[in-house]
Amino acid sequence: MEVVDHETPSLENGKTDKEVEENANVLQFMDSMDAYLTLIHSLSSTLRRGWLELASARHSMGASRVNTVLLDHTSHPAATSLLVTQDEGKVDSGKPHFTLCKWASSSNENSLFGEKQSSQDKLHPQLRHRGSTELYEEKTSSENKASREVDDPVQKERSKSLSMFGTLVSPKLRAAQLSFEH
Amino acid sequence: MDTVVGFLMAGVGNVDLRRKTNYLIVDSKTTVKQIEDTFKEFTTREDIAVVLISQYVANMIRFLVDSYNKPVPAILEIPSKDHPYDPAHDSVLSRVKYLFSAESVASGRR
Repeated sequence: MEVVDHETPSLENGKTDKEVEENANVLQFMDSMDAYLTLIHSLSSTLRRGWLELASARHSMGASRVNTVLLDHTSHPAATSLLVTQDEGKVDSGKPHFTLCKWASSSNENSLFGEKQSSQDKLHPQLRHRGSTELYEEKTSSENKASREVDDPVQKERSKSLSMFGTLVSPKLRAAQLSFEH
Repeated sequence: MDTVVGFLMAGVGNVDLRRKTNYLIVDSKTTVKQIEDTFKEFTTREDIAVVLISQYVANMIRFLVDSYNKPVPAILEIPSKDHPYDPAHDSVLSRVKYLFSAESVASGRR
Protein backbone atom coordinates (compact mmCIF):
# COMPACT_ATOMS: atom_id res chain seq x y z
CA MET A 1 0.00 0.00 0.00
CA GLU A 2 1.35 3.36 -1.01
CA VAL A 3 0.89 6.00 1.64
CA VAL A 4 3.47 8.58 0.60
CA ASP A 5 2.29 11.22 -1.81
CA HIS A 6 4.84 11.41 -4.58
CA GLU A 7 4.05 15.03 -5.39
CA THR A 8 5.37 16.37 -2.07
CA PRO A 9 9.05 15.98 -1.16
CA SER A 10 9.76 12.84 0.81
CA LEU A 11 12.27 14.43 3.19
CA GLU A 12 11.24 15.03 6.82
CA ASN A 13 11.38 18.82 6.56
CA GLY A 14 9.08 18.66 3.52
CA LYS A 15 6.28 16.95 5.44
CA THR A 16 3.53 18.94 7.02
CA ASP A 17 2.34 18.27 10.53
CA LYS A 18 -0.84 16.84 9.10
CA GLU A 19 1.08 14.29 7.04
CA VAL A 20 3.19 13.29 10.01
CA GLU A 21 0.04 12.77 12.06
CA GLU A 22 -1.55 10.77 9.25
CA ASN A 23 1.50 8.56 8.99
CA ALA A 24 1.45 8.00 12.73
CA ASN A 25 -2.23 7.04 12.54
CA VAL A 26 -1.56 4.64 9.70
CA LEU A 27 1.27 3.03 11.67
CA GLN A 28 -0.92 2.67 14.72
CA PHE A 29 -3.64 1.19 12.54
CA MET A 30 -1.22 -1.37 11.08
CA ASP A 31 0.03 -2.27 14.56
CA SER A 32 -3.53 -2.79 15.71
CA MET A 33 -4.24 -5.01 12.73
CA ASP A 34 -1.14 -7.05 13.42
CA ALA A 35 -2.15 -7.48 17.05
CA TYR A 36 -5.69 -8.41 15.96
CA LEU A 37 -4.41 -11.11 13.59
CA THR A 38 -2.02 -12.49 16.21
CA LEU A 39 -4.83 -12.66 18.75
CA ILE A 40 -7.16 -14.33 16.26
CA HIS A 41 -4.56 -17.02 15.61
CA SER A 42 -3.98 -17.66 19.28
CA LEU A 43 -7.75 -17.74 19.81
CA SER A 44 -8.08 -20.32 17.03
CA SER A 45 -5.47 -22.59 18.56
CA THR A 46 -6.90 -22.23 22.08
CA LEU A 47 -10.40 -22.99 20.81
CA ARG A 48 -9.11 -26.03 18.93
CA ARG A 49 -7.49 -27.29 22.12
CA GLY A 50 -10.72 -26.68 24.03
CA TRP A 51 -12.80 -28.57 21.46
CA LEU A 52 -10.41 -31.47 21.49
CA GLU A 53 -10.51 -31.66 25.28
CA LEU A 54 -14.29 -31.41 25.28
CA ALA A 55 -14.48 -34.23 22.72
CA SER A 56 -12.12 -36.35 24.87
CA ALA A 57 -14.28 -35.69 27.90
CA ARG A 58 -17.39 -36.58 25.93
CA HIS A 59 -15.69 -39.77 24.78
CA SER A 60 -14.76 -40.80 28.32
CA MET A 61 -17.91 -39.61 30.07
CA GLY A 62 -20.40 -40.51 27.38
CA ALA A 63 -22.30 -38.27 24.99
CA SER A 64 -25.36 -38.14 27.22
CA ARG A 65 -23.38 -36.60 30.09
CA VAL A 66 -21.80 -33.83 28.07
CA ASN A 67 -24.72 -32.32 26.27
CA THR A 68 -26.60 -29.08 25.85
CA VAL A 69 -29.69 -30.80 27.29
CA LEU A 70 -28.03 -30.59 30.71
CA LEU A 71 -27.53 -26.85 30.56
CA ASP A 72 -28.88 -25.05 33.56
CA HIS A 73 -32.00 -23.13 32.62
CA THR A 74 -32.75 -21.91 36.10
CA SER A 75 -32.25 -18.24 36.64
CA HIS A 76 -28.59 -17.53 37.38
CA PRO A 77 -26.25 -14.63 36.69
CA ALA A 78 -23.10 -15.01 34.63
CA ALA A 79 -20.06 -15.73 36.77
CA THR A 80 -17.70 -14.01 34.37
CA SER A 81 -18.55 -10.54 33.18
CA LEU A 82 -17.09 -7.61 31.35
CA LEU A 83 -17.14 -4.07 32.70
CA VAL A 84 -17.23 -1.31 30.10
CA THR A 85 -16.24 2.21 31.10
CA GLN A 86 -15.94 5.26 28.95
CA ASP A 87 -12.85 7.44 29.09
CA GLU A 88 -13.76 10.76 30.58
CA GLY A 89 -11.75 13.92 30.58
CA LYS A 90 -9.69 12.80 27.60
CA VAL A 91 -9.70 14.40 24.16
CA ASP A 92 -10.73 11.23 22.38
CA SER A 93 -13.61 10.13 24.53
CA GLY A 94 -14.89 7.61 22.02
CA LYS A 95 -12.79 4.70 23.29
CA PRO A 96 -14.47 2.37 25.74
CA HIS A 97 -12.38 0.46 28.27
CA PHE A 98 -13.07 -3.20 28.92
CA THR A 99 -12.32 -4.87 32.23
CA LEU A 100 -12.75 -8.62 32.53
CA CYS A 101 -14.07 -9.86 35.86
CA LYS A 102 -13.68 -13.61 35.97
CA TRP A 103 -15.67 -15.78 38.33
CA ALA A 104 -17.04 -12.85 40.25
CA SER A 105 -20.25 -14.09 41.83
CA SER A 106 -22.87 -11.53 42.74
CA SER A 107 -22.82 -12.62 46.40
CA ASN A 108 -19.13 -11.94 46.74
CA GLU A 109 -18.36 -8.26 46.29
CA ASN A 110 -14.63 -8.60 46.88
CA SER A 111 -14.14 -11.24 44.27
CA LEU A 112 -12.85 -9.41 41.23
CA PHE A 113 -10.42 -12.10 40.18
CA GLY A 114 -8.13 -11.87 37.19
CA GLU A 115 -8.97 -8.27 36.43
CA LYS A 116 -7.16 -6.81 33.48
CA GLN A 117 -7.78 -3.54 31.75
CA SER A 118 -7.64 -3.33 28.01
CA SER A 119 -8.31 -0.27 25.97
CA GLN A 120 -10.56 -0.73 23.00
CA ASP A 121 -10.12 0.89 19.63
CA LYS A 122 -13.42 1.61 17.91
CA LEU A 123 -12.58 -0.08 14.64
CA HIS A 124 -10.39 -2.90 15.87
CA PRO A 125 -11.75 -4.73 18.86
CA GLN A 126 -9.12 -6.62 20.81
CA LEU A 127 -9.74 -9.87 22.59
CA ARG A 128 -10.10 -9.58 26.32
CA HIS A 129 -6.78 -10.30 27.97
CA ARG A 130 -6.83 -12.92 30.63
CA GLY A 131 -5.30 -11.98 33.92
CA SER A 132 -5.82 -15.24 35.79
CA THR A 133 -2.41 -16.78 35.14
CA GLU A 134 -0.71 -13.63 36.40
CA LEU A 135 -2.76 -13.89 39.55
CA TYR A 136 -2.06 -17.54 40.14
CA GLU A 137 1.63 -17.42 39.38
CA GLU A 138 2.51 -14.87 42.06
CA LYS A 139 5.31 -16.39 44.08
CA THR A 140 6.16 -13.76 46.68
CA SER A 141 5.64 -14.93 50.26
CA SER A 142 3.20 -12.20 51.20
CA GLU A 143 1.08 -12.82 48.15
CA ASN A 144 1.15 -16.60 48.28
CA LYS A 145 -1.40 -16.67 51.05
CA ALA A 146 -3.61 -14.16 49.26
CA SER A 147 -3.52 -16.18 46.06
CA ARG A 148 -4.44 -19.35 47.96
CA GLU A 149 -7.42 -17.55 49.44
CA VAL A 150 -8.38 -16.33 46.00
CA ASP A 151 -8.08 -19.81 44.53
CA ASP A 152 -10.77 -21.42 46.70
CA PRO A 153 -13.74 -19.25 45.73
CA VAL A 154 -12.70 -19.42 42.09
CA GLN A 155 -12.43 -23.20 42.26
CA LYS A 156 -15.86 -23.27 43.85
CA GLU A 157 -17.32 -21.21 41.03
CA ARG A 158 -15.63 -23.42 38.47
CA SER A 159 -16.98 -26.56 40.12
CA LYS A 160 -20.41 -25.01 40.25
CA SER A 161 -20.19 -24.41 36.55
CA LEU A 162 -19.13 -27.98 35.90
CA SER A 163 -21.68 -29.45 38.28
CA MET A 164 -24.30 -29.53 35.56
CA PHE A 165 -22.36 -32.41 34.07
CA GLY A 166 -22.55 -34.49 37.23
CA THR A 167 -20.50 -34.83 40.40
CA LEU A 168 -17.54 -36.74 38.97
CA VAL A 169 -16.24 -35.05 35.86
CA SER A 170 -13.39 -36.10 33.65
CA PRO A 171 -10.12 -34.16 34.05
CA LYS A 172 -10.40 -33.51 30.34
CA LEU A 173 -13.55 -31.53 30.99
CA ARG A 174 -11.73 -29.39 33.54
CA ALA A 175 -8.94 -28.84 31.05
CA ALA A 176 -11.53 -27.87 28.44
CA GLN A 177 -13.01 -25.40 30.92
CA LEU A 178 -9.61 -23.77 31.42
CA SER A 179 -9.03 -23.56 27.67
CA PHE A 180 -12.33 -21.82 27.10
CA GLU A 181 -11.64 -19.49 30.00
CA HIS A 182 -8.41 -18.46 28.33
CA MET B 1 -22.88 -26.27 20.04
CA ASP B 2 -19.55 -27.31 21.52
CA THR B 3 -18.39 -23.73 21.44
CA VAL B 4 -21.40 -22.64 23.49
CA VAL B 5 -20.94 -25.50 25.96
CA GLY B 6 -17.29 -24.59 26.36
CA PHE B 7 -17.96 -20.93 27.02
CA LEU B 8 -20.76 -21.77 29.43
CA MET B 9 -18.29 -23.91 31.37
CA ALA B 10 -16.01 -20.89 31.49
CA GLY B 11 -18.79 -19.06 33.28
CA VAL B 12 -20.28 -16.63 30.80
CA GLY B 13 -23.78 -18.09 30.70
CA ASN B 14 -26.57 -15.95 32.06
CA VAL B 15 -30.21 -16.87 32.48
CA ASP B 16 -32.48 -14.13 33.70
CA LEU B 17 -35.74 -14.33 35.62
CA ARG B 18 -37.72 -14.63 32.43
CA ARG B 19 -35.58 -17.66 31.45
CA LYS B 20 -33.98 -15.70 28.64
CA THR B 21 -30.42 -16.74 27.97
CA ASN B 22 -27.53 -14.65 26.76
CA TYR B 23 -26.54 -17.32 24.24
CA LEU B 24 -28.07 -19.04 21.25
CA ILE B 25 -27.19 -22.54 20.14
CA VAL B 26 -27.46 -22.82 16.37
CA ASP B 27 -28.22 -26.27 14.99
CA SER B 28 -29.83 -27.66 11.88
CA LYS B 29 -33.30 -26.68 13.13
CA THR B 30 -32.43 -23.04 13.78
CA THR B 31 -33.80 -20.71 11.12
CA VAL B 32 -31.96 -17.71 9.71
CA LYS B 33 -34.79 -15.50 10.99
CA GLN B 34 -34.18 -16.75 14.54
CA ILE B 35 -30.48 -16.00 14.23
CA GLU B 36 -31.22 -12.52 12.86
CA ASP B 37 -33.69 -11.76 15.64
CA THR B 38 -31.29 -12.99 18.32
CA PHE B 39 -28.44 -10.94 16.83
CA LYS B 40 -30.60 -7.81 16.82
CA GLU B 41 -31.70 -8.50 20.37
CA PHE B 42 -28.16 -9.03 21.69
CA THR B 43 -26.87 -5.93 19.97
CA THR B 44 -29.57 -3.78 21.49
CA ARG B 45 -29.37 -5.19 25.01
CA GLU B 46 -27.58 -2.86 27.42
CA ASP B 47 -26.04 -5.60 29.54
CA ILE B 48 -24.07 -7.20 26.69
CA ALA B 49 -20.62 -5.78 25.86
CA VAL B 50 -19.18 -8.39 23.50
CA VAL B 51 -21.00 -10.71 21.12
CA LEU B 52 -19.08 -13.82 20.12
CA ILE B 53 -20.38 -15.35 16.92
CA SER B 54 -19.07 -18.34 14.99
CA GLN B 55 -17.91 -17.39 11.55
CA TYR B 56 -20.18 -20.04 10.07
CA VAL B 57 -23.22 -18.46 11.75
CA ALA B 58 -22.01 -14.95 10.87
CA ASN B 59 -21.93 -15.95 7.21
CA MET B 60 -25.65 -16.77 7.43
CA ILE B 61 -26.41 -13.21 8.52
CA ARG B 62 -23.44 -11.55 6.80
CA PHE B 63 -25.46 -8.52 5.74
CA LEU B 64 -26.53 -7.74 9.30
CA VAL B 65 -23.07 -8.29 10.76
CA ASP B 66 -21.36 -6.14 8.14
CA SER B 67 -23.84 -3.31 8.50
CA TYR B 68 -23.33 -3.18 12.27
CA ASN B 69 -21.28 -0.12 13.20
CA LYS B 70 -21.40 0.48 16.93
CA PRO B 71 -18.33 -0.08 19.14
CA VAL B 72 -20.35 -1.54 22.00
CA PRO B 73 -21.37 -4.32 21.99
CA ALA B 74 -18.33 -5.37 20.00
CA ILE B 75 -18.84 -8.19 17.53
CA LEU B 76 -16.11 -10.79 17.45
CA GLU B 77 -16.17 -13.54 14.86
CA ILE B 78 -14.61 -16.71 16.16
CA PRO B 79 -13.72 -19.80 14.18
CA SER B 80 -16.34 -22.52 14.00
CA LYS B 81 -15.41 -26.03 15.03
CA ASP B 82 -16.15 -27.56 11.66
CA HIS B 83 -15.16 -24.59 9.54
CA PRO B 84 -11.67 -23.14 9.98
CA TYR B 85 -11.22 -19.39 10.30
CA ASP B 86 -11.45 -17.64 6.95
CA PRO B 87 -9.94 -14.12 7.03
CA ALA B 88 -11.64 -13.28 3.73
CA HIS B 89 -15.04 -13.35 5.45
CA ASP B 90 -14.14 -11.66 8.71
CA SER B 91 -16.12 -8.42 8.93
CA VAL B 92 -13.27 -6.45 10.54
CA LEU B 93 -10.72 -7.54 7.97
CA SER B 94 -13.09 -7.00 5.06
CA ARG B 95 -13.58 -3.40 6.23
CA VAL B 96 -9.81 -2.96 6.36
CA LYS B 97 -9.52 -4.38 2.84
CA TYR B 98 -12.19 -1.97 1.68
CA LEU B 99 -10.34 0.94 3.31
CA PHE B 100 -7.07 0.02 1.69
CA SER B 101 -8.60 -0.53 -1.72
CA ALA B 102 -10.32 2.88 -1.47
CA GLU B 103 -6.99 4.45 -0.51
CA SER B 104 -5.06 2.88 -3.34
CA VAL B 105 -7.73 3.95 -5.83
CA ALA B 106 -7.53 7.49 -4.46
CA SER B 107 -3.73 7.61 -4.59
CA GLY B 108 -3.79 6.16 -8.12
CA ARG B 109 -6.04 8.96 -9.24
CA ARG B 110 -3.63 11.65 -8.01
